[in-house]
Amino acid sequence: MFPAPAKRDGVLPGFRLGLGYTLTYLTLLVLIPLGGMILMTGKLTWGSFWDIATAERALASYRVTFGASLFAAIVNAVFGLIVAWVLVRYPFPGKRFVDALVDLPFALPTAVAGITLATLYAENGWVGQFLAKLGIKVAFTPLGIVVALIFVTLPFVVRTLQPVIEDIEAEVEEAAASLGATRWQTFVRVLLPGIFPAWLTGFTLAFSRAIGEFGSVIFIAGNMPLISEITPLLIISKLEQYDLIGATALAVVMLVISFAMLLTINLLQWWAANRHAKGNDAEPAEALAPGALVEARP
Amino acid sequence: MSIEIRNISKRFGNFVALDDLSLDIPTGELVALLGPSGCGKTTLLRIIAGMETPDSGNVLFGGEEATHVHARERQVGFVFQHYALFRHMSVFENVAFGLRVRPRKDRPSEAEIRERVMGLLKLVQLDWLAQRYPSQLSGGQRQRIALARALAVEPKVLLLDEPFGALDTKVRKELRRWLRRLHDEMHISSVFVTHDQEEALEVADRVVVMNRGHIEQIGSPDEVYSSPASPFVYQFLGNVNVFHSRLHGSWAEVEREGDARAAGSIAFVRPHDIELDVAPIAGGMTAGVRHVHRIGPLVRVELEHDGETIEVELTRERAASLDLPVGKTVWIKPRQAKVFAAEATAPAGKQPFLF
Repeated sequence: MFPAPAKRDGVLPGFRLGLGYTLTYLTLLVLIPLGGMILMTGKLTWGSFWDIATAERALASYRVTFGASLFAAIVNAVFGLIVAWVLVRYPFPGKRFVDALVDLPFALPTAVAGITLATLYAENGWVGQFLAKLGIKVAFTPLGIVVALIFVTLPFVVRTLQPVIEDIEAEVEEAAASLGATRWQTFVRVLLPGIFPAWLTGFTLAFSRAIGEFGSVIFIAGNMPLISEITPLLIISKLEQYDLIGATALAVVMLVISFAMLLTINLLQWWAANRHAKGNDAEPAEALAPGALVEARP
Repeated sequence: MSIEIRNISKRFGNFVALDDLSLDIPTGELVALLGPSGCGKTTLLRIIAGMETPDSGNVLFGGEEATHVHARERQVGFVFQHYALFRHMSVFENVAFGLRVRPRKDRPSEAEIRERVMGLLKLVQLDWLAQRYPSQLSGGQRQRIALARALAVEPKVLLLDEPFGALDTKVRKELRRWLRRLHDEMHISSVFVTHDQEEALEVADRVVVMNRGHIEQIGSPDEVYSSPASPFVYQFLGNVNVFHSRLHGSWAEVEREGDARAAGSIAFVRPHDIELDVAPIAGGMTAGVRHVHRIGPLVRVELEHDGETIEVELTRERAASLDLPVGKTVWIKPRQAKVFAAEATAPAGKQPFLF
């Protein structure tokens, strides 16, 4: 008799090598720098860390950074879904051109985007002058930050949703229609749950990118302390004053908040993706003997 | 509810899927649309369901014009080959879907929905799977859930597109019989599409044989098998040997000589309608044994006559008593043949043999 193998080998070998490589890579690139940063703050006493982290200017900058990022990500989630839907579902002239346009915010240096947006939305800019008549000020206000962040994070939702929308079977929609569902009911009850995990991924990517965004924001934000100053800028200004420890303290705060939020969203996403497969204790369906199908009862 | 299809035509680009086709489906019948891939059978079914619009012609439901009625208002149940279940919903919610999406005034109460759905799940014998998700079911179970889902809206017509096409043979056989019983209990009109002649002949009240956007023949399973209206139907429903023949009045002399082709008739003989013996048969012809295939209860003998292949099917006992080694010369004689004029076979454009 041969001893039964302890675990089943996958089709592709190299689990150990793959895992080892992944861990080394992540350690070198992510964990060590972040760990170093946290160690650096260790030079502070808890009290002085707390003072720096909860200074009035710091608190205001968190509000601006996370608030504007959340708002921008929500706006992009809604409009990105529409853009992705249109790009997948409808043929129209110039579709490839529009499709390529979506990636442009990725390619453009963010400073260029920031300067362009600041010029456009300034009170005497092309767009800004009309908004000014309506009493809306965009450039050099928190609203300007939101505009810049929307621009920079546009591709994330679109690009994560596109392949998922392409994968939707036409038959599922037809089935819903033949059962009497309206288009809206089909969309909300049948299609949306299918694309929800990908949608959340796109939202998360856009949100985290917005939190870290610096280049485009500083040109349009006006950077007034307590009003339109983002945390990354506050960190830079601390660095410019050789306050390395203060800068890392703020960075650690951002790191912790970001990590907590991303973890929450990831858990939510995991839950959304696995909801339809709960009760996995059941035998896999294919393992059932075909002859037992019709008569099988518990 | 009866379905009338009047002069329907449909093209996809240059491809003619349906060409001026008319068909009546009386209430309560189980009709099979049978034909090779690309014959337009699925297109016809989708037009009946309202998922496709015909280029011209009308569809009438119970005598009323329905050509441009949207799929959601047609009250048809549709079952797809690949089930098209809603993956993120439990089996229960899948079946309940059609009831939940009704406008509020027509929507049954939660208790009624529960009762109806569990009733349907009992009908398809899967009530114990109500809380599972489609990914946890086998193919046969998924298709039965799809059927229960289609029946939940109390359709007047049930349409099935190759419903058992993705299942293995054994499950397919069981589901076929079960569909037949279900149809008899539900008293609705059902139309199902298939390319499997055995399935069509076994389940349907009537078989509609289609080819290249036309109807070749409509009839009971027995009619289409035993008296096919065209060479295409003959060839499509089972194996067949083709003999080019000379006609002498009503009697066809079956030969395979060059000049016979000029005479302009072709005889079709089923492999089980050929007599085979090792001793000479009066009026028979000789052939050499090339292969012997044992397929379950049957033995299929491949013979060579004058450079062409002839198939003969024998029972296992008969083959055993004859002893047919490869290379042996035997005598064959058709017991019955169906003769069509050569022109009739020309448009079908078929090769002389189908295996």
